[in-house]
Amino acid sequence: MRSVKAIFSKQLRDMFKNRTVLIQFVVFPLVAFAFTEIVAKPNGSIPDSMFVTMFASIYAGVTVLTTTAGTIAEDRERKSLRFLIMAGMKPYQYMLGVGGVMIAASLLVAVVFGATGGFHGVNFVRFVVVLVLGSVASSLLGATLGIVSKNQQAAAAMAMPLGMILGFTPLLAMFSQTVKKLFCIFYTMQVDMLVSDFSADFTTPATVIIVNIAVFAALFAFAYNKKGLS
Amino acid sequence: MIQMSNITKRFGEQTVLSGVTFKVQEKEIFGMLGPSGAGKTTIINILTNQLSADSGTHSIGVSPRETGLMLDEDGLFVRLSCLENLNIFADIYGISRRKSREALKSVGLELAAKKAVGQLSKAMRQRLALARAILNRPRVLFLDEPTGGLDPATARGIHKLILGLRERGSTIFLTTHNMDEAVRLCDRVVLLHMGVIVEQGAPAEICKRHEAVKTVPDLEEVFIKMTGVELE
Repeated sequence: MRSVKAIFSKQLRDMFKNRTVLIQFVVFPLVAFAFTEIVAKPNGSIPDSMFVTMFASIYAGVTVLTTTAGTIAEDRERKSLRFLIMAGMKPYQYMLGVGGVMIAASLLVAVVFGATGGFHGVNFVRFVVVLVLGSVASSLLGATLGIVSKNQQAAAAMAMPLGMILGFTPLLAMFSQTVKKLFCIFYTMQVDMLVSDFSADFTTPATVIIVNIAVFAALFAFAYNKKGLS
Repeated sequence: MIQMSNITKRFGEQTVLSGVTFKVQEKEIFGMLGPSGAGKTTIINILTNQLSADSGTHSIGVSPRETGLMLDEDGLFVRLSCLENLNIFADIYGISRRKSREALKSVGLELAAKKAVGQLSKAMRQRLALARAILNRPRVLFLDEPTGGLDPATARGIHKLILGLRERGSTIFLTTHNMDEAVRLCDRVVLLHMGVIVEQGAPAEICKRHEAVKTVPDLEEVFIKMTGVELE
């Protein structure tokens, strides 16, 4: 437990000192807030929560994925992980520490998004839970990319386009039924569906997200067995 | 305490270690000497279980948590401060964070405690890496080229620290290609050439055996004489 706490604390401090990462966590809630206040609220024909749900899906797809991949790739490239493991830390403790920060940050971001969107009660809780589940999926996918990448640059080169595809697909699906049908198996589409319409069926999209998490966890385990952390 | 017996290691077609055998006694400073590419780092990697040997046996006589490690790549977290870097490891070892400050003091970095690692000079980073290696008061300390690329002042400071650690009971295994450093520090050395041990024993014994007389002036002493700068 103390190793997980140590990595959690390290990751948290590192995140606050890493402007590039910090901006990624702040930019989507900030843009959603600005668009909601400047565009949506004065315009009666646009739902107040439209930009929040749109940017929340993009956040779930892009930010957590690229940050997790970058963090792990950087710690491997700089050989920091090697020293942590030599000090007696287990790889799963490292993953729990890094993943824990991503989930905690996502929880905070989800609360900000939820407040901006004006959600209340059960809808607010549902919004936060769905966004955190999406972040778990992104975190696992990012961790896999971080492990298979040779260095931080290679991790960014893989994570960014993948994040863009996953994050922006819900936006494209608003204009194309084909995209919607094709990409409905991805968690970001389901996150978008769940947070856009609270009266819609919860079970099927939630199951798809859980299946995504399970598949990414299996992918991560496979990559870890093949390449290890250090 | 540390021992390697008949270790062989190949990377593809290339044999990097061949029949390497040696023993290190407790509380000894043991030097592994050889030029770059001789196989010194591979030996440390095998001893610390970061790499597996193709054949042969090895042991270090203590658990990994009782070892300290300083490698050519420092692995420090560049955006965090010196103290934060050490505190992470203090937390993992389950020792008081006060030890982090003590370790920083012992390498002369107490004034840089809050400085980000990314802002440190190479010499300061090397001292910080050493502070991390000694943080848990290791029984066995592995130092891979501990003074490589450092100025004489810093190198001498690190030498003093290494000798102090031995006094406190640590067994030290170091690699170097600096012969003067080996003579100054090591109780015993092995000379490694292309993965094969060509000689081993106490430095003075080896020199005597080979009738090697030191004729090159000690540049470090010249530096002190010329500049009058105290190098500690």
